[in-house]
Amino acid sequence: MTGVTTMTEPLLEVEGVDKSFPGVRALHDMRLELRAGEVLALVGENGAGKSTLMKLLSGIHTADTGMFRLGGESFEATSPRHAQELGISIIHQEFNLVPHLTVAQNVFIGREPRRGRLLLDERRLNADTTRLLERLGLPLDPRAVVGELTVANQQMVEIAKALSYEPRVLIMDEPTAALNDAEVATLHELIRRFVLPHTGVIYISHRMEEIKRIADRVTVIRDGEYIDTLDVASATTAEIIALMVGRAIDTGARPQGVRADRDVVLGIDGLNTKALLKNVTFDLREGEILGFAGLMGAGRTEVGRALVGADRIDSGTITLHGKPVRIGNPADAARHGIGYLSEDRKRFGLLLDQDVRANIALGALRDQFTRGGFVRDRDARATAQSYVGTLRIKTPSLEQTAKHLSGGNQQKVVIAKWLAKNCDVLVFDEPTRGIDVGAKEEIYQLLNELAAQGKSIIMISSELPEILRMSHRVVVMSEGRVTRVLDADEANQETIMHYATLRPDENPDDAAELGIRTGS
Amino acid sequence: MAAVKTQAPERAQGGGIAGALKGSLQQLLAFASLIVIAAFFSFASPYFFSYGNFTAILFSTVVIGTLAIGTTFVIIAGGIDLSIGTGMALCAVMSGVFLVKLGLPLWLGVPAAVLFGGLIGLVNGINVALLKIPPFIATLAMMLVAEGLALVLSDSTPIYFTEAPGYTEISTGNLIPGVNFPNAVLVLLVVALIAGVLLRKSVLGRYTYSIGSNEEATALSGIDVRRWKIAIYAFAGLFIGLAGVLISARLGSAQPATGMGYELQAIAAVVIGGTSLSGGKGSIVGTLIGALIISVLNNGLQIMSIPQEWQNVILGCVILVAVYTDRIRKKEL
Amino acid sequence: MKKLRKIVAALAGGALALTLAACGSDGGSGGGGDGPFIAIVSKGFQHQFWQAVKQGAEEEAAARGARVTFVGPATEQEVEEQMNMLTNELAKSPQAVGFAALDSRAAAPLLQQAQSQNIPVIAFDSGVESEVPVTTVATDNKAAAAEAAKHLSEQLGGKGKVALVVHDQTSRSGIDRRDGFLEWMKENAPGITVLQPQYGGGDQLESANITKSIISANPDLKGIYASNEGSAIGVIKGVQESGRQGVTVVGFDSGKAQIDAIKSGVMAGAVTQDPIDMGRKLVDSAIKAIDGEQLPKTIDTNFYWYDKSNVDDPKIKATLYE
Repeated sequence: MTGVTTMTEPLLEVEGVDKSFPGVRALHDMRLELRAGEVLALVGENGAGKSTLMKLLSGIHTADTGMFRLGGESFEATSPRHAQELGISIIHQEFNLVPHLTVAQNVFIGREPRRGRLLLDERRLNADTTRLLERLGLPLDPRAVVGELTVANQQMVEIAKALSYEPRVLIMDEPTAALNDAEVATLHELIRRFVLPHTGVIYISHRMEEIKRIADRVTVIRDGEYIDTLDVASATTAEIIALMVGRAIDTGARPQGVRADRDVVLGIDGLNTKALLKNVTFDLREGEILGFAGLMGAGRTEVGRALVGADRIDSGTITLHGKPVRIGNPADAARHGIGYLSEDRKRFGLLLDQDVRANIALGALRDQFTRGGFVRDRDARATAQSYVGTLRIKTPSLEQTAKHLSGGNQQKVVIAKWLAKNCDVLVFDEPTRGIDVGAKEEIYQLLNELAAQGKSIIMISSELPEILRMSHRVVVMSEGRVTRVLDADEANQETIMHYATLRPDENPDDAAELGIRTGS
Repeated sequence: MAAVKTQAPERAQGGGIAGALKGSLQQLLAFASLIVIAAFFSFASPYFFSYGNFTAILFSTVVIGTLAIGTTFVIIAGGIDLSIGTGMALCAVMSGVFLVKLGLPLWLGVPAAVLFGGLIGLVNGINVALLKIPPFIATLAMMLVAEGLALVLSDSTPIYFTEAPGYTEISTGNLIPGVNFPNAVLVLLVVALIAGVLLRKSVLGRYTYSIGSNEEATALSGIDVRRWKIAIYAFAGLFIGLAGVLISARLGSAQPATGMGYELQAIAAVVIGGTSLSGGKGSIVGTLIGALIISVLNNGLQIMSIPQEWQNVILGCVILVAVYTDRIRKKEL
Repeated sequence: MKKLRKIVAALAGGALALTLAACGSDGGSGGGGDGPFIAIVSKGFQHQFWQAVKQGAEEEAAARGARVTFVGPATEQEVEEQMNMLTNELAKSPQAVGFAALDSRAAAPLLQQAQSQNIPVIAFDSGVESEVPVTTVATDNKAAAAEAAKHLSEQLGGKGKVALVVHDQTSRSGIDRRDGFLEWMKENAPGITVLQPQYGGGDQLESANITKSIISANPDLKGIYASNEGSAIGVIKGVQESGRQGVTVVGFDSGKAQIDAIKSGVMAGAVTQDPIDMGRKLVDSAIKAIDGEQLPKTIDTNFYWYDKSNVDDPKIKATLYE
């Protein structure tokens, strides 16, 4: 995008790098070439070795063999600080920010300007930060407490912090995981205007559309080995994905449309919560995948949590198979056969230190796997084993600890837990967050199979392609209200964004007009 | 988040067989260190290696061991119970009230005292699970309440069980004829066995691990975590009651002021036994070995006539080394 | 990193082994020789008083060619711990045992065991309610408390209101030091009103708080008697914090804080037991018992009144501990 001369000069080179951990070879003969002034996307499934490579570059680990060159000179980073001094800054997916400090204090943490030896020069700190933010065009207040900022703004603070070191190479690991489309656009703008002319950027992401938009070239790695580097302009998404997973993937399937003939399983009428939700009304039919779309903070997750009793409902009714039910806590929801799969599986879904069997058997333990207060491990094992088979969970054994499974397999374990409990309504919040492309396909296939078997699925997602691909109908939310329910054939990127950005009317909406009720 | 964290090195770890081995190895190593310490003392002192001294060690383990077993449940569930020491004193006093002041027969008074321990646990559980008071604070408060109540109910004087014939037999008698093996040790072994089976095989035990491992995930899996937490504290409370009976039967009196400090020893035993203070992991066998390590050290160091100042230094170092090697083991296996 | 961890672990293990070995080599503290071995199980250990008993016992043992060990629980509430300690000492088959019981009846089975092992038991500090001990080496607490009462009465000129802060209402020493004081006052000082005794558990802070509330409830209070070191320090603190002048304080035992208070005049004086003398007489009696000598039922150890005038007297000074 910038001058041709800089484009061809290698800025960062990695050659023949091997790295083994006890019992596993993480990287083998790894290669990478980042040119000055370009954005190089780095893609690969989970476990492909991206993180290991980043850890070598940032000095967290050291390579067994191989060569690193920066601007033609070989180097070996011995610590993150050393890497930073060399000119390599990394923005990790999980923010390294101190929530109780201000923006300025976070940006200059560890190198605060001082007055004398002991006193901090808070005024200069804020002035320096203001200058930095102005230069980057970031509308942030240096005195704002980071913990009170939105996720997007926290991301901006991370970037400001990284750029304040004036690095030659900036590595961004999934920088948009928590951002909405508008925020992603802002971020890309920032990269183009302030980062690119001076530095090279390695951009790690799962989102193909973003890579298409921001990257010049894309390097694909798989199973710890270098596969190929393509020019983004000429490569297709399917091509890149095929290289990543080592096989071709069908990304085009669309659901059949509304299944008007099926019974309504779950009816939600006039749901209100103190925090956010206003008069939320919709139904869910048997065998249906109902997508929930909306911008961050629209209330999608809150609907899911209210529905399973994790958050308190102030008013509104929930009917299940035509009968009103009271759901005060997750135990009530589970008793009624409603299972909740949180976006944060590690926190809300799994017992990370327990094995696969214990996780699958957890929900149904008392109903199915006990006699006289004692656990019948053989039954639990048999059930777990059968789900490992039917859901194609990749695990060496039932005794594998859940934390050692990949994201996709963890998600499947959580699904198995709810299936074992005979749930027929499954509420998925971001079902494929943190799951790599190949495994995503498997989860999609599984959702379709579950729906085909008559399970009813609520799928909350911030990824529009996922919503469009999977949903029979799409509930669009904005500011805590349902603004529209779209049928599959009318749902597309534009219609969804239109209703997602609609300012909801102050008057209660007429449900019929919005298409919320689809007949009874 | 998962995208980056679940990387290759982790995938290769702990398969089925390796995982199972790791679990038993952990206990095996704790047991091995117990044997090493015992062997050391056997060589260092001619008085250590004798049947009489071994029963003395077991006898001195009974009270801490019983408390530690109950606490193991609470700690695995991610909680802590500081009220077990003074709670035990209160249960001992209640035993005195039931048997001596009210004159109840043994078959009624002793279970009543044990159940009173369950009541203490129940209140702890309600405070923690329903009122959402952090366990440290809730049980700290209970520690003070129990300490005070024990003094009030006993008029601050020991209650002697001379009017409850046969009571001291619970601890000091020999059920096995012809062998000098105190009943209290038998009681400890039996309840340890029961607790071990319950922890591994019962729903209560399974949920104890689940709640300690991830309370939110357990709740969202449709389990009424509040109810089970109360159950866990109440169950652990029964051991407070039992310890109260065992100590008062041993001493022939309910000592209202004894008990403060026992909670820390019991927690130390649990931790030495490999139970994680952050919950989700642990075993009864480990706790028993932990309690034995403490009493073997106490006994051995005293028998070697090591100055008492140094005994505490060494005990503290052993706790550090035990917990530290446990950490290394977990990281490297 | 991993290597470092291994090294640290190895070092920690090694240090522990060394500590054990070092301690083992000088085990059996307090005197060498192949003389009789006397095991002493005391009521406490950390407290200065017990350390002074230990000192006396070790000095006497060194002089007589005996060997002593001295153990005691961390606090005087740990009855079970003391039982474990006595069990362990008996396992070493000593020739005699010195024992200060926290609870006489709890110790009964172990005392029986000592008797069946033919190990003579010498009770010390307070009596053991049992037939087993051959003698009891102790301060006559009642007489000592009476001495404190006498001096307080003299200081006040035989009239006024006085209070008691007692360390314990259950132990023999607590009861005797309370009753000795009360009885003397009743018989000899008709002009003195004695308030209801208060109990501070020997805890300094607790005793200080009690003192402050007594002072604010009794504006005409003239004197306070504290029944042990912890109580006395607490009372001094309480009086100072309340800012009240003209309250005469008498105490019990010694310790640096109490001695300083007496030297500076904050405290009128105190009764001191002679713990070193107690340790000496304990070992002396034990050796006599081992030799088969008949001993009297009780052996009184010394106590002294000390105040500003005689606190530096060598005879007194020898009984005081800091």
